[in-house]
Amino acid sequence: MAAAEASIFSGSGDNSVWTDVSPLLQAACNGLQDGELIHGDNFNLYAAMSALEIMDPKMDSGMIGRYYSVDEAIDGGAAPIPISFDRTVDVQCTIDIMDHLLACEATWHKGHSLAQTVFSCIYLLRPERTTSHALLHSYSSVIRATCKAVISVVSDARTHEEEDLFTMMYGLNLNGEDEKCLSILNAVEETISRQLRACRALSARRKVLEDIEPLQNNPMLEEGYCRAILARLRFRKHFYHVLMCLKRPQGRGLQLARKHVASCISELKAIRELSGQHTACGGQTISEDRTTASGRQPVGFDASLNARLSAPTPPRSIKILSWSEAIEYFLKLLQDLDIISSCSLENSLDCVLHFVVQFQKSQPDLVARAHLQRLLLQDGKLFGREAIFSVISKAATLPEVVKNHDIEKMECVIQLGQLVINLLRILCANSAWQRRKLGKILQDWRVTYIQLELALRSKFGEPSGTPSGENICMNILKQLLVWVEEKVYWIASRFLMLGFELELYSTSEYGMVYWYIYVVSVKLVEKLHHRISISNRGKRVKCRGKKKRVPGKDATRDIQFSPTVLFLQSHICLAEGLTMMLAALRNEKMILESPTPFNSDQERFFQHFELLQKAGIPDHNSYQSFEGSTKNASLSMLAMYNHFKDAQRIAKEVKSSFSDDPERLSELRRIEQVAEHNSVALSLLCRVGDALDSSLKLSFEFSHHPHFATAVVRRS
Amino acid sequence: MDTGVSGGGDEKAEFDPSEITYVSYGGEHHLPLIMNLVDQELSEPYSIFTYRYFVYLWPQLSFLAFHKEKCVGTVVCKMGEHRSTYRGYIAMLVVVKPYRGKGIATELVSRSIRVMQESGCEEVTLEAEVTNKGALALYGRLGFIRAKRLFRYYLNGVDAFRLKLLFPQPYIHPSLLMEAHEDSIRRSSSDTIEVSH
Repeated sequence: MAAAEASIFSGSGDNSVWTDVSPLLQAACNGLQDGELIHGDNFNLYAAMSALEIMDPKMDSGMIGRYYSVDEAIDGGAAPIPISFDRTVDVQCTIDIMDHLLACEATWHKGHSLAQTVFSCIYLLRPERTTSHALLHSYSSVIRATCKAVISVVSDARTHEEEDLFTMMYGLNLNGEDEKCLSILNAVEETISRQLRACRALSARRKVLEDIEPLQNNPMLEEGYCRAILARLRFRKHFYHVLMCLKRPQGRGLQLARKHVASCISELKAIRELSGQHTACGGQTISEDRTTASGRQPVGFDASLNARLSAPTPPRSIKILSWSEAIEYFLKLLQDLDIISSCSLENSLDCVLHFVVQFQKSQPDLVARAHLQRLLLQDGKLFGREAIFSVISKAATLPEVVKNHDIEKMECVIQLGQLVINLLRILCANSAWQRRKLGKILQDWRVTYIQLELALRSKFGEPSGTPSGENICMNILKQLLVWVEEKVYWIASRFLMLGFELELYSTSEYGMVYWYIYVVSVKLVEKLHHRISISNRGKRVKCRGKKKRVPGKDATRDIQFSPTVLFLQSHICLAEGLTMMLAALRNEKMILESPTPFNSDQERFFQHFELLQKAGIPDHNSYQSFEGSTKNASLSMLAMYNHFKDAQRIAKEVKSSFSDDPERLSELRRIEQVAEHNSVALSLLCRVGDALDSSLKLSFEFSHHPHFATAVVRRS
Repeated sequence: MDTGVSGGGDEKAEFDPSEITYVSYGGEHHLPLIMNLVDQELSEPYSIFTYRYFVYLWPQLSFLAFHKEKCVGTVVCKMGEHRSTYRGYIAMLVVVKPYRGKGIATELVSRSIRVMQESGCEEVTLEAEVTNKGALALYGRLGFIRAKRLFRYYLNGVDAFRLKLLFPQPYIHPSLLMEAHEDSIRRSSSDTIEVSH
């Protein structure tokens, strides 16, 4: 058995020399008994997992594949040029290659290697061969340039820690004359437009003005093929333009990008509509797995040729997305890019944070997320336009004097700027990675908070008798502290909410999660309200000289809450209601939970919230306070004080303040629905009492809101 | 790594749970049994080195379940230092389809977890596909939480959950952890600080 096994360690550096180990292996095999293993100390799990068994098709990438090299494949006729001497067949085959490349490109974007997807195309691997085939050559050139542009934005954005496969190029040659690709494409597009015009004129029995050679030989198929190819070429052209527009600094190309996005979408739809007209099998059912519109296998692809490039792990054969899935993927990508292009460059930091969070709700893929990140952060500035400190000053509503103030140069303030940049980056990542990073950066925010606090303390230990200049500085630092605290709770709240989207909580844990969301949201609202009232006070001081004060009016304004605060207030009521409802059901044994054999709720609480607790969010809270606030919860108590009714009332009241914000409006409607359903469920539960186990079943669902559960009572 | 315990096939084996015997890994003769089960039931391909890595270093953490002469389930694990904690790791857990749903997997994995706890592990971890409802429910009943979601973790492109079980610890108030951390930042300051809000 030992002889059939081999482990391959990659040689490193210039000092390694290739030698023939067959005699050594033979000697080792003779010396070993069946089942014996030589174990080196450095042979760890990673080495064990990277080892492969030669001639096992699941692991050995070298044994599969028909050809040893690209040249051998070409010599073997795998990628002929022209594809066929019959011009009709040649055009058909070219369309198939275009379609399969689109499917490969989407598969690449979805997380497979470039080598095994787009560059499984032999024509792309040898660009000089296609020069005589204008159509194929123009399409390959633009694909190559597009891949290069997409890799560049993804590697710039560095959102790809878990998605780093994306930017690996395996030494593939992507270099070409990028600028030229568009002129080649335009020339071919022009020719085919003329061919289309000519064939239309012919069919309308009009006189053809120019003597134009048709695209191919079958007049019945000419118009269909011309249109099919034109739509494909135009899609590529506009898509490349979209990428170039989005690349322009300071968001200068956004408006134009939207126009090209719209053109891309209409060309994609045209491609889909036209596909019914020239399918190969006419009438036969075409497999849903097909990677081309026609359902034919494309000529000139061999994924195994690059398999050996795909180290370090042995490549598995991958499934290329189907043609219709690829079209769907690109439609979604274009919609996401359209949302990005519609981002207002005048947005404040809070609006930007809200924008990113909303954008992430539709689960955009890597390429779209990378574009958003590059738009937000260029040269360390927001949208490449505004320095981060200035962004923070506006967000924290610091007074105007702060400009050119020494505060900007303080070490902890510089750090704060870095934290904001990091936060924006993290918010653009996939939600799994995002949540992990958010949990970790809470600690950094906490440290910066403490350092700001210390700076305040050391500079202004004695609050009285300081000159007014220092007073301003002290106020600025205090205001900054309030803002940092608010952001810490905002991050904590996003961390907790994302847990629902990632399905990290089980039903038995909902109680503790809602309790935590409740506690964090209360703090968040407190800081937010504090900041808003400070800034309002500042504004009022300014106006005082101009207007006569109306006595009493300011007093009422002080206790008025801003719509944002009220919006969060509705979350607080829902979270508190759900915490208490779950606790009451547990206390009254209406939810039966069997104890776990190795640990208890206390350990699970610690595990879920460890990062928050370590960052002191909120101060001095622990499992004991959760237990303390829920152990006496009962249904009769809830019936007397119904948090869901409060949530419903607040959501209803605050709606009018968000009449110009459709997203917040729709969330408020959902909050109302959750509150209403839970209210009804609660009164039903109070009525039925013990009947719950026998005839009624209770479950919690996320049918109305992604983070707030709806209690559903069903007859079993 | 991987767990195959959910969704029994059509052909259910008729047996009494008391007929199942559980044995700790006993040597090279058990290796082909383990490899066959894992190869049959799990999606990830493992080389023989991976199996030997586990069963040679931690034979006490691997168990097999037999019905009469037939091996119907197995669990393979490891333990060791991980970032200042001593943790156990469940690498593979498999029960063949006709024998699923009778508590064999729970018994197998519980045996490993007990040995880990006795050996001083503070926690146990593993990964499971997000779509593997059976495994997720099983580990949930044992007290594991879903600590993280790992984006496209498996070669087939599916996300995984990192599941974690924390054993009860001698209790340290979390605020103490926090204060120790903050003290190091505040070292230069002489007294405590209160910021007015």
